[in-house]
Amino acid sequence: MTEPETTLEGWTPEPGPDLPLERIIDLAFDYRGDTTVVLTDGTELRGYVFNRNADAGEPFIQMFDADGAGPRAIPYSRIRTIRFTGRDPAAGNSYALWRRRKETGGAGRDERGRGQG
Amino acid sequence: MSVPAAQMWTVAAYVLRQKLRGRRRYPLVLMLEPLFRCNLACAGCGKIQYPAQILRKQLSVEQCLRAVEECGAPIVSIPGGEPLMYPEIGRLVEELVRRGKYVYLCTNAIQLREKLEAGLFTPSRHLSFSVHLDGRRAEHDESVCREGVYDQAVEGIREALRRGFRVTTNTTLFEGASPLRMREFFDEMMDLGVEGMMLSPGYSYSKAPDQEHFLRKTRTNDLFARMLSKPKRRWRFNQSPLFLRFLMGKHDYECTPWGNPTFNLFGWQRPCYLLQEGYAESFQDLMETTRWERYGRKSGNAKCRDCMVHCGFEATAVNETFGSWRGFVETVGVTLTGRF
Repeated sequence: MTEPETTLEGWTPEPGPDLPLERIIDLAFDYRGDTTVVLTDGTELRGYVFNRNADAGEPFIQMFDADGAGPRAIPYSRIRTIRFTGRDPAAGNSYALWRRRKETGGAGRDERGRGQG
Repeated sequence: MSVPAAQMWTVAAYVLRQKLRGRRRYPLVLMLEPLFRCNLACAGCGKIQYPAQILRKQLSVEQCLRAVEECGAPIVSIPGGEPLMYPEIGRLVEELVRRGKYVYLCTNAIQLREKLEAGLFTPSRHLSFSVHLDGRRAEHDESVCREGVYDQAVEGIREALRRGFRVTTNTTLFEGASPLRMREFFDEMMDLGVEGMMLSPGYSYSKAPDQEHFLRKTRTNDLFARMLSKPKRRWRFNQSPLFLRFLMGKHDYECTPWGNPTFNLFGWQRPCYLLQEGYAESFQDLMETTRWERYGRKSGNAKCRDCMVHCGFEATAVNETFGSWRGFVETVGVTLTGRF
């Protein structure tokens, strides 16, 4: 049996003792959709987090803005939290789902997954 | 084996130069991804799952060439995304060939015939179309989640061969692959006239949506041992014989993650083509600051435990061939006898 597909889409975590900011950043880095990075001064930056370096002297993330501009680097110390606001392009696109759709005569793969922007 | 002698010589001379210089870590194949867009959306592929603004982006030819110079590897593999969708692919390939690089353009071949007819490429011993085919018609179309793709790929291969291009195939094998059907596939490709075939087990990308159809190590050994036992003399493989023997369980190699460094829109990918643990700004930064001890089987990293993919182990096999008499003799033996 296939595990039910889960996605972080729509998640708005708040860092705390059980959920350190570093963990949220790791999850945002793994997330395939856009996120909203909330800075300590209240500024919100929407875009795709493609890199994070926790080993650097000053740990940082890198992101492209939602309009494609960038990349910009943001130190961990300036980040309050990250919200998973963009659509998850990986969700619902598993091989198992595709087969199920095929076997039940469904429309096949969702066109959004074709990567044509 | 089907790797042309000139290419083999280039690789051998390069590896020996690295050894003479005492270079412990050196790249063999640059994986150059100029874009992530693709005209397929295979369930096993995590490469194209990005937001629209990322999929619209692409590297410039100049960025690609800078990466090639920085890296210095003798072979450049261009995967993606689908490289034939890269508007500058003709110029990029031309520039790489001019620099004496051996180029493997990894394509699903859906647009191959159209691009050849448009005169985008010139035949060269430095250029090979590496066409993605995961088996015979039924298996391949299932693997790429779209019917008719196998026939399009074969049409592209025929046209490329007719025009005098080198053509190889690259095949990723997943759970449930049939050794018998694969042996039929090898016959089919040889009948088609491709120069050689490349095989690799799939890998469970941490970000790939499909986690259950990738092969684990023992099953990989079993599949490859059955598939390649008593190989036909006419089958030609465009890869190291020692790598194939490794897949059959006859060697226990360690991964060489820096062997196939990856450059794309995000920079130099750490630590390898498959894992995305972050990006470095320069090749030197990648080589010097990546915590290599965290990767490979010996590291105990769970992500590396079952990996036997060519991008990590082909470089190990090549290093073994040209770095030890035992490896060299074994490679020559397999090449002469055709037995793995």
